Amino acid sequence: MKFKDKHRFVRSNMKRNKTSVWMTILASTIGCAFLIMLASVGFAIHKTAVDDVMSYRLMNEIEIQSENGPLIEEDVKKLQDIKNVKAVSRKKYVPANELSLGEYTGYADVSSANIPSERKAGLQLEKGRMPKSKNEIIIGYHFAQELRKEMPENFTEGMSEEEAQKKMKKLAYDGDLLNKTLTYHMKVDNPEIKTKTQINTVQVKVVGIKEKPKKEWMTDSSVMITDDLHNEVMTLLSEIDPELKNSDDSYSSVKVYTSSAEDVKAVSEKIKGKGYLTYSVVSELKELNIYFTLFKAGLIFIGGIAVLIASIGIFNTMTMAVTERSQDIGIMKAIGATPKTIKRIFLLESGYIGLWGVGLGTILAYVISYGVNFALPIIVEQFMNEKPPEDFILSYIPWSLTVIAVTICMSVTLLSGWRPAAKATTVDVLKALRRDV
Amino acid sequence: MITVSDLSYAYKIGKKEKENIVPVLHHVDLHVAEGEIVAIVGRSGSGKSTLLNLISGFIRPQTGEIIIDGKKVSGFSESKWAEFRLEHLGFIFQSFQLIPSMTAYENVELPLVLKGVSEKDRGEQTIKMLKRVGLEQYQSHYPGELSGGQQQRVSIARALILNPPLILADEPTGSLDSENEKELLNFIQELNEKDGITFLIITHDHEVASIAHRKVEIRDGYLREGSKLHEVQR
Repeated sequence: MKFKDKHRFVRSNMKRNKTSVWMTILASTIGCAFLIMLASVGFAIHKTAVDDVMSYRLMNEIEIQSENGPLIEEDVKKLQDIKNVKAVSRKKYVPANELSLGEYTGYADVSSANIPSERKAGLQLEKGRMPKSKNEIIIGYHFAQELRKEMPENFTEGMSEEEAQKKMKKLAYDGDLLNKTLTYHMKVDNPEIKTKTQINTVQVKVVGIKEKPKKEWMTDSSVMITDDLHNEVMTLLSEIDPELKNSDDSYSSVKVYTSSAEDVKAVSEKIKGKGYLTYSVVSELKELNIYFTLFKAGLIFIGGIAVLIASIGIFNTMTMAVTERSQDIGIMKAIGATPKTIKRIFLLESGYIGLWGVGLGTILAYVISYGVNFALPIIVEQFMNEKPPEDFILSYIPWSLTVIAVTICMSVTLLSGWRPAAKATTVDVLKALRRDV
Repeated sequence: MITVSDLSYAYKIGKKEKENIVPVLHHVDLHVAEGEIVAIVGRSGSGKSTLLNLISGFIRPQTGEIIIDGKKVSGFSESKWAEFRLEHLGFIFQSFQLIPSMTAYENVELPLVLKGVSEKDRGEQTIKMLKRVGLEQYQSHYPGELSGGQQQRVSIARALILNPPLILADEPTGSLDSENEKELLNFIQELNEKDGITFLIITHDHEVASIAHRKVEIRDGYLREGSKLHEVQR
């Protein structure tokens, strides 16, 4: 018997029992949709966690530390020699953090950086250019917000938090800092140092503004100076704090960037081999993935129970179909249908029920998933007066989840249809012809 | 065409612990030659239907051997029997045994479908066969919409669609009126004479037995071919 004929045969049989077939399909649809939806919550939380980790660090970034203390230029050279290392970003912390523009004063994390290495590592500017001379600097996207007029005493007293914030905003610098010259104050944040009446200053020009952080809630108020300016600043600062005179030429932060994310593992191993400690997002993700894989497997298992319950419906419908059609099966066997043909017809029927259930269930799951992700932020905002975290999703259905769900549902469906199909092959021809079954 | 040797069969009745064995056929020998019409007659419960069911492969003999068309079928598996029935045997039943949810056309077409014949060839052969039994205009009717005679003609068309060399008929006129019975018997004779189809007919109707070349009687499960007591030459 050809497949096309089996299909035609099954279709006409399904049409005859429309109600029970559609009810079974509905049960399978709900079972499959439940499985996908439940697992999609696990996938969504996993995705949010991974995205969160990735938003702070780049995939091809490896943080380097040494057990023997801070890294120095010699270490950087060693790291640069490793194959597939694209750039070695190294920064030196600068203790002076006060900068001003006219009556506006701001405080920032100031560090020096090797500009060519930063460029190679992927530093992007929103506007402007990279520093070319000693007194040129790059500022973070949000640095301008840090520049404020001096706040009068008891300025925010008696105000609500909202009002105080509004008032303070008025004191902040509201303009473009590109190509503006700032005054860098040589002050040290050390209470033991007596402040001199005359404080040295250095004039620095803003030539570039770093690109906006990818996440809306992240702020970048840092200031990046050149290595040459760092040397000058440290000389001036050591006049105030003699301890700084002894500070060595070590880096406060060293990061290696590989050519691609795939190289991270191999490069990390090589760095470890040279006696350094490494940390990369890849290693963090590995642990995260193990944890979430177990979590998702648990959810799929619970969802699988719903599919199992739906499969009881398929088993029931198919058993009824075999009982109802025993006479037809007997006649077919009498005129020459093999047990294999009979079995395949019934398996095909349960397969079609499963296929419809899986198809509709998957579509339903996608619709619910989209709806939940769309409606949830609105509901949270309406009823809890709070905005959910940016990029937060409650349900995420990757193609892999669809494949897993379809495989589970179809396997369970075929298994539940197997017994009735096998029963159909055992229909006694004589009993069927005598209408005794 | 058919050779049955030393065939015995007993029904097992009741549950395993309290099983009763009821012997039905005892050491039956029968030979049906190609092109013959053989009628097996006997009283109700004599074992004639059991003999036909054994020859059809619906039940398995406990002892003895059945050879049909040169093939020892008594040792066939269920699948092999199904394939053999499809290729070599046609069936006419007393209660027609048509599938009620299928039209006359679909019922006749069914053996071709099971054999895997292409849709185009099936269409031609089915229409030709329906024409032959005079039911072309009833092709889209369901069995419930046809008279007893028409239903039996559909079942004959289904039995003939794959040109089997042997047709097994179990009380073929049992549900027909005299007019339809006469028509059917004429048709069986025509098929035998023109197409050379061998018929083995189970009947208790003398009218039906009268068209047979040989009449074989079965009594209390005993039959001996060639015995003057049980075998009557036509």
